Amino acid sequence: MTRAMTTEASTPTSLQRIKRRTFEIMEGEVPDKYSQFVEIFIALLVVANVIGIILESVPEIHEAFMAEFHAFDMFSVAVFSIEFVLRVWSYSEKYIHNGGSAWDGRKEYVFSFYGIIDFVSTVPFYLQLIFPGADLRVLRMFRLMRIFKLSRYNSAFEDMVAAVKAEKDSFSSAVFLLFISCLLFSSLIYIIEGHEQPEVFPSIPAAMHWFVITIVSGWGNVDPVTFLGSLLVILTQILSIALAAILTGVVATAYTAQVERRQALYEMEVRNVLSDGVVTAEEQTQLKVMQAKLGMSDEQVEAIKHQMEEEKQIAEANKQAK
Amino acid sequence: MTTGIKNTLMEILDGSPKHTASRYVEWIITFVVLVNCSAVILDSVPEIHAEFKDFFHELEFWSVMFFTVEYIARVWSLGAKYSRDNGGSWKGRFEYMFSPFGLVDFFATMPHYLHMFFPTLDLRILRVLRLLRILKLSKYNTALQDLFHAIHSERQAFGSAVFLLTIATIVSASLMHFAEGHHQPEFFGTIPHSIYWSIVTITSGYGNVEPLTKAGEAIALITGFLGVCMAAIMTGIVASAFSNQVARKKAAFEAQLREVFKDGNMSDEEKETLQRLQAHYRLSDEQVEAMMLRAKNKSSAQE
Repeated sequence: MTRAMTTEASTPTSLQRIKRRTFEIMEGEVPDKYSQFVEIFIALLVVANVIGIILESVPEIHEAFMAEFHAFDMFSVAVFSIEFVLRVWSYSEKYIHNGGSAWDGRKEYVFSFYGIIDFVSTVPFYLQLIFPGADLRVLRMFRLMRIFKLSRYNSAFEDMVAAVKAEKDSFSSAVFLLFISCLLFSSLIYIIEGHEQPEVFPSIPAAMHWFVITIVSGWGNVDPVTFLGSLLVILTQILSIALAAILTGVVATAYTAQVERRQALYEMEVRNVLSDGVVTAEEQTQLKVMQAKLGMSDEQVEAIKHQMEEEKQIAEANKQAK
Repeated sequence: MTTGIKNTLMEILDGSPKHTASRYVEWIITFVVLVNCSAVILDSVPEIHAEFKDFFHELEFWSVMFFTVEYIARVWSLGAKYSRDNGGSWKGRFEYMFSPFGLVDFFATMPHYLHMFFPTLDLRILRVLRLLRILKLSKYNTALQDLFHAIHSERQAFGSAVFLLTIATIVSASLMHFAEGHHQPEFFGTIPHSIYWSIVTITSGYGNVEPLTKAGEAIALITGFLGVCMAAIMTGIVASAFSNQVARKKAAFEAQLREVFKDGNMSDEEKETLQRLQAHYRLSDEQVEAMMLRAKNKSSAQE
């Protein structure tokens, strides 16, 4: 279907235009029905692929529908290959208007997260054709990576990564806290209980295993024998709640901060638009695209606009008073 | 001459960004500490201990030497922290020696010498003290200090949560003692015994002992449910502590911004101060830009 789109205009002089159009459709930069169609088609194919891989792992189903699964896999690989080739070909358009060379956009795509995913989830199929002896399980694992193709159309994954990145200091300190307490507590329990329960705590690494289970589940499957050991177990369990609370708190703050950051970004854009006093139609669509990109609700946008207008009125009132 | 060296050494050991050497010192100390902790952990595995005993011994000796030099350098150089009129050289030294970091540095190093003089000392205590070296790393983790600061500012809420936890533990433990004490005396025979059970149940939702009576079952269910509530309360407190801290930082930064825009223009010096503050408060560039625009608009509106 993507191929049909590109062969629509056939004159070679308009190759540039076809490329541009393919890029727009693939990237979904200008939201229209073609790019939406491509998006939905690829997303559905990915979902069907993942369901197929899961079902294929059940021996009875695999034996009954072997040929169908193989045909479906062939079809998916063909579509994904066309997608990859089209993307590499058309992404040369990305920076060409900003003075970049054709290979800037291509290089960026091929080495981006999605580029690598697109490549890795498709190419092993061809490798298998060339070297038939490859381990099938490895191949299946690569095929499962197709699910990451979906995250291109959903910002949840990116949001999470961005939120974690923005709060990386807090995360690292929580991890550091976990690390320190793991070392101290597991060594302490080894020293205190190691003599009494040598089969459970024969060494510090074994005690670390106990600590991690206690932190994750709240109960490490071991009852302490000594009084000091009981105290230590109780402390570890309380620590497990505290660490869970800290991690949750960090994530919650990260998300709130991200919402604020988006509002700030949008507010800046609105201010930019309003700075010359008029809002052109182009600027209006620009704001709309930005709102969709940042995933902001209409109420939030309304509130920001309202605030701007109030500020303007105050400024004018002050001017008149002068 | 010595004062100059002292001053430079103090700044390097303190991790001041003025010297590139301070970063290398930080890396070296971190590396030695990590190697040390790995050695203590590996040394506890009997097979590894049998094979590499001499190597671990050697490593311990050289690390102690390293940490001793570090400790002495810190104590000596911190004499330069306060001038003579301001308390003299020993004020800075004592301040360091009795600070948490100073105590950690001391106890992570000195017991080795004790062992040299009193070879009969319990080795296990020595091993615990060796592991204290990991705490040396917390000096370099400012976010950790942030975290403690956030928790410290919400200490009242934490206090009430701990109070709730204590009450819940004691009540459920005593109830369990009365309900199950006769049936399972080995687990619920005394209230301290059942306290252990009720803490396990509250924190993990899974008791190490199954109750036998109907009343015991009901109490176990309620205790497990209380555990979920406790986790929710703690999480809520920590989350609000974090967001309060962020809000506080932003407010402080905004106040500084308003101060800067009061005279209408921003000098280079003021810009530098703002950048330093931004790094200190860990605000993103977008947040700062939005705040700046708002402050600018406000100051122009007032004119």
